[in-house]
Amino acid sequence: MTVAEKQPVPAAISVRNLDFYYGANHALKNISIDFPQGQVTGMIGPSGCGKSTLLRVLNRMYDLYPGQRATGEVIFDGCNILGPKVNLNVLRARVGMVFQKPTPFPMSIYDNIAFGVRLHERLDRAAMDARVEDVLKRVALWPEVRDRLHDSAAALSGGQQQRLCIARTIATRPEVVLLDEPTSALDPVSTARIEELLDELKADFTIAIVTHNLQQAARCADQVAFFYMGEVVEVDSADRMFTAPRENRTQDYITGRFG
Amino acid sequence: MAGRENTTAVATAAPCASGRWQGNSLSDMRRRMVDRVATGLCWLATVLVLLMLFSILFVLVRNGLGGLRWVTFVHVTLPPGQGGGLANAIVGSLIQTGLAVLIGAPVGLLVGIYLAEFTATDGRFINLVRFVSDLLLSAPSILVGLFIYMIVVVPTGHFSGMAGALALSMLVVPVVVRTTEDMLRLVPLSMREAAIALGAPRWRVILFVCLRAARDGVATGILLALARVSGETAPLLFTSLGNMNWSVSPAAPMASLPVTIYQYAGAAYEDWTALAWTGALLITAGILMINITVRLGLGRNRK
Repeated sequence: MTVAEKQPVPAAISVRNLDFYYGANHALKNISIDFPQGQVTGMIGPSGCGKSTLLRVLNRMYDLYPGQRATGEVIFDGCNILGPKVNLNVLRARVGMVFQKPTPFPMSIYDNIAFGVRLHERLDRAAMDARVEDVLKRVALWPEVRDRLHDSAAALSGGQQQRLCIARTIATRPEVVLLDEPTSALDPVSTARIEELLDELKADFTIAIVTHNLQQAARCADQVAFFYMGEVVEVDSADRMFTAPRENRTQDYITGRFG
Repeated sequence: MAGRENTTAVATAAPCASGRWQGNSLSDMRRRMVDRVATGLCWLATVLVLLMLFSILFVLVRNGLGGLRWVTFVHVTLPPGQGGGLANAIVGSLIQTGLAVLIGAPVGLLVGIYLAEFTATDGRFINLVRFVSDLLLSAPSILVGLFIYMIVVVPTGHFSGMAGALALSMLVVPVVVRTTEDMLRLVPLSMREAAIALGAPRWRVILFVCLRAARDGVATGILLALARVSGETAPLLFTSLGNMNWSVSPAAPMASLPVTIYQYAGAAYEDWTALAWTGALLITAGILMINITVRLGLGRNRK
């Protein structure tokens, strides 16, 4: 952390003056925030304050739903991804997403991972096998599933399914990984494993994680952003945010006085 | 109403049958009376339905089993008094229902996908398509037969197995549309989003994720459609007409079990009526088998 403060890390994604609307509902109000490369950014705040909305802007998930629109700038790799000429499938391959509930596809463990890879790369059998093994090892799932790669993914436990979903996301080799409350449906043991995993993954990916668990944010995040009523109230290092927040609203939230 | 009365009665009577738990006031007695009457009526209705079903099966087996001989399966229909079997009708039915499913199921599948997946397009149009499809589901099947008669039989100048298959396929479509749409709507939104978040184009998400998740339900719908049309008679009367001789050409008039039953059952010849019973038994057994397959398939996937 101290190193990061002395030498500012370049931002993988820069959000500038972002406004977001669900129809007439103004959900994000003039938001600006940087996601530093190779770091974990934790996003905290009460429900309905715009954390998940921001995540869904970063990979343009909101495009699926008519009536949702964003204005402002989101700079990723030198390009404003809110612009009209962005190839959404390429963007989503570069900015991966893991959801709150594990969402294994109705196919084998192997095919769950190969599905995403096949969308963007042509690999021969051996290379695909190697990729599957590699990502399953990275999420520490390999020992548990190596003998049943071709069994249905639905038979895995919730925690295993969520690790499979993370493996599936990183298998397409994204630069940024967005996680939307990835552990809120999991038991404490599975949660701990996924938190450990995040620590290892940030060597290769820029990570943005939405969480309602403040301890989780404190444990995992390098940088924490506090959202309230569609605004970013405060962005700071995790250390400072949880010990000496600048804003009263942040102080109130992390001490449990509201939210 | 009956259900609520029932649970109350059980709760008071079963564990604590004596003492102050046992209500003896007038309203308690009235409640127990209503419970008994309602339960009795439910039993009566159930027995009645089962009785009807089994009496149909019993009559079918008693009258049809005698004709279930080898010659019935290998010999074509013959004039009265000369023996003969149902081979042309059995094969004709298989061809026509098979073709009907081959034509109707893909159409129904695509429409079902359209209704379930393309929700971003104009909602009014989607509702209209769904309404028309449901209308077709309940349309009298003889109308469908007449329609195909007008647009296929009259222009081509003759009855044909293909016309029969087309008429049946019009009954397959709405069944498949409904089940496909319903099954696709059961696929959670989060699964679609997860696939899209990997950068998958729409068609891949629908084909390889949604349809795959709904696979068993969709297959069940197709089998149910097959079961439904295999007993249809009215749409075939003006389309494939029936054929006393062996013919497997879809371009020529074609025999089928339901039409043969229709023609034979009312005949004055004993051997013809016997064959009609056997044909009815065959259709019933076929439909029963399809339904059992569906049940087994669903049971296997629940595990």
